[in-house]
Amino acid sequence: MSAKGASLKGLLLVALLVSHMLLTKEGVTSLPICPNGSVNCQLSLEELFDRAVKLSHYIHFLSSEMFNEFDERYAQGRGFIAKAVNSCHTASLTTPEDKEQAQQIHHEDLLNLILGVLRSWNDPLIHLASEVQRIKEAPETILWKAVEIEEQNKRLLEGMEKIVGRVHSGEVENDIYTPWDGLPSLQLADEDSRLFAFYNLLHCLRRDSHKIDNYLKVLKCRLIHDNNC
Amino acid sequence: DLLQWPQISKCRSPEMETFSCYWTAGKFYNLTVPRILQLLYKKSNEEDWKECPDYITSGQNSCYFNASYTSVWTPYCVQLASKSEVYDKKCFSVDEIVLPDPPVHLNWTLLNTSQTGIHGDIQVRWDPPPTADVRKGWITLEYELQYKEVNETKWKELKPRLSTMVPLYSLKMARDYEIRIRSRQRTSEKFGEFSEILYVSFSQIGIGCDHCTEEVEFPWFLVVVFGVCGLAVTMISIMLSKQPRIKMLIFPPVPVPKIKGIDPDLLKKGKLDEVNSILACHDNYKTQLYSDDLWVEFIELDIEDPDEKSRASDTDRLLSEDHLKSHSCLGTKDDDSGRASCCEPDIPETEFSASDTCDATSDSDQFKKATEKEEDLLCLDRQDNDESLPSLANTDPRCRPENSDLWAPFGDSMESPRPSVHTQISNQNSLTSTDFYAQVSDITPAGRVVLSPGQKSKLGRAQHEGCTEQNFTMDNTYFCEADVKKCIAVTSHEENEPHVQEQSYTEDGYFTTESLTTTVANLGASTAAPPSSEVPVADYTSIHIVHSPQGLVLNATALPVPDKEFNVSCGYVSTDQLNKIMP
Repeated sequence: MSAKGASLKGLLLVALLVSHMLLTKEGVTSLPICPNGSVNCQLSLEELFDRAVKLSHYIHFLSSEMFNEFDERYAQGRGFIAKAVNSCHTASLTTPEDKEQAQQIHHEDLLNLILGVLRSWNDPLIHLASEVQRIKEAPETILWKAVEIEEQNKRLLEGMEKIVGRVHSGEVENDIYTPWDGLPSLQLADEDSRLFAFYNLLHCLRRDSHKIDNYLKVLKCRLIHDNNC
Repeated sequence: DLLQWPQISKCRSPEMETFSCYWTAGKFYNLTVPRILQLLYKKSNEEDWKECPDYITSGQNSCYFNASYTSVWTPYCVQLASKSEVYDKKCFSVDEIVLPDPPVHLNWTLLNTSQTGIHGDIQVRWDPPPTADVRKGWITLEYELQYKEVNETKWKELKPRLSTMVPLYSLKMARDYEIRIRSRQRTSEKFGEFSEILYVSFSQIGIGCDHCTEEVEFPWFLVVVFGVCGLAVTMISIMLSKQPRIKMLIFPPVPVPKIKGIDPDLLKKGKLDEVNSILACHDNYKTQLYSDDLWVEFIELDIEDPDEKSRASDTDRLLSEDHLKSHSCLGTKDDDSGRASCCEPDIPETEFSASDTCDATSDSDQFKKATEKEEDLLCLDRQDNDESLPSLANTDPRCRPENSDLWAPFGDSMESPRPSVHTQISNQNSLTSTDFYAQVSDITPAGRVVLSPGQKSKLGRAQHEGCTEQNFTMDNTYFCEADVKKCIAVTSHEENEPHVQEQSYTEDGYFTTESLTTTVANLGASTAAPPSSEVPVADYTSIHIVHSPQGLVLNATALPVPDKEFNVSCGYVSTDQLNKIMP
């Protein structure tokens, strides 16, 4: 009888503990998963920025490597570099071009700009991932980088929207956006022209990813570390 | 000398806020006068080439663009030109040409020292280059530290890292070190210039280790010498050791030629019979397998003929030569006859186990079976004798040459007496209604027949009795003693025989019940083993000499033989000897 009673008590205790754990949602995890809208469980802004900076750095790193590989493999001897004037489709967005401008712009505006640039790249990245596979003998590394960049860009966009949601006091502006019309150039029949179009796109991607990375770091140092990184 | 044109050597931005371009004037001495060479620049969204705003700040042959002229992510083009022509042109954007300045304020502190005082750890710290605005996050730098001992030539590198401090472990306190650091923008590949060299000297701060200059270097020489000696000792001990396993492990034996199907262990253990059988017909055993049907056939034939049954006494079976050969146990089956191997289990009982198809592997098993059960391992096929003789003669030659060679090691130069015996058997079939059995107590595949004469049925009988029917072919073939006895003992009747024999048989245990019954029945009719002629006989007869090619002399313990001409005292006799026996 006593043994039975003890086992029953033990079972009850275990049940209570488990239910307590489930109810309080206190677990030991490195990256707590917070359901949207829940108040008690939230990543701090610092953590959000940390993740955003990591992602942006990763995207820029991949873009840089992809550009270098493409340059090495297809651009040598074709005189692409000589054609210096390459305008990116995001050139219409007025983004800070030097440190002073970056210092002076309001962080909300800067965030919106970042969002705008990211959104503008959503479409081209999708097409880049699909069109780059049609390049003759494209190396595997370029292919998977294109796919990876597209994926990470989406994640960064989500993260940025979260940050904007936190930081922004007013409404979130969604109108900063540049459409991309470069798809036909990626599908040209002439191989030289087509490769040049890719070269341009990758060059623009490297540049814009560097921009985003820089802006985010500036914002992080400004908002989180109070200009004392 | 070739004419060297003026060239833009590089354009560089140390902090992504300003940038400078540098060129070489070439060997146009006339053009080294300032302001003849111009650097023009143009932003991508502009139309006109503008001249360099500052030729001085960055030194000679340089152009400096300050922050107001610098747009980071805007493509620029610069060109080096004189009034008449353009010498060089470069296009870039500022974010691509970032090469930071070297770090400053390098210093080191001692972390701890080892117990022996020979080694120590230090922490190196530095500051980022002052021009780079790292605090506001405008530029992110990573650093690479290199260090070496003062005497060395090659620098050791650490992985690039973001932090501005780095520990260096396990430095020798007796030596001095040099440290230098360089930086680069985090996603770039190119590093900037190296910082000034930092000198690390432990003795200067008073913790140097003077007495540890004589470092205990690893005693390579001693290690090698002792290692070789130890190895030699080990090898010698292994070689001399009696442990065969270790020896085989280290010095594996060279594989010797191996005959397929032969297990050398058999040779060693002395089961020469098995090996003999294997060797005898290893050609055959693979190709000739049993089919149950043939066995069934065989059995049916056996049963159909009642006489055959009676005749199919054990001795007959024993005598049938082709079962002497154990190699037939291996599955050799004559092509045209249904003769099975000696290893076949009881044929009358139609007990066929899986090992009916004689394999070499199951050879020993079958032999055990053979000995355990009272199988009619030999002389199994009686009815086919007449027919089979020629076939035997045909098939045997395949085995025979091997046999003759291979049986030699056994000391018994026994050739295959099968055909001869068989003929004898065939002849004797008609005679052997009664059994004076020589029991086969052991049968070896090699053909060695170990006979155990019945306790009462010994050669002695043969001496006393005659044989009315003589169908022996006098060609010096061998035949069973039992047959002889039967032949001889037809006339005599002994009531006791069956019982004795029965008992003896059951003792040996390999005669089938059926054969027993038949023999018993027959014995009842015609046993004629005179107890008076009891002669102490050995239980075993073994083949002693083989008279080629038809004689088989069996060796046994001494038995009184009336006729001294007998080479064997009991058991099998040659026809010649038989003739002597017979009246």
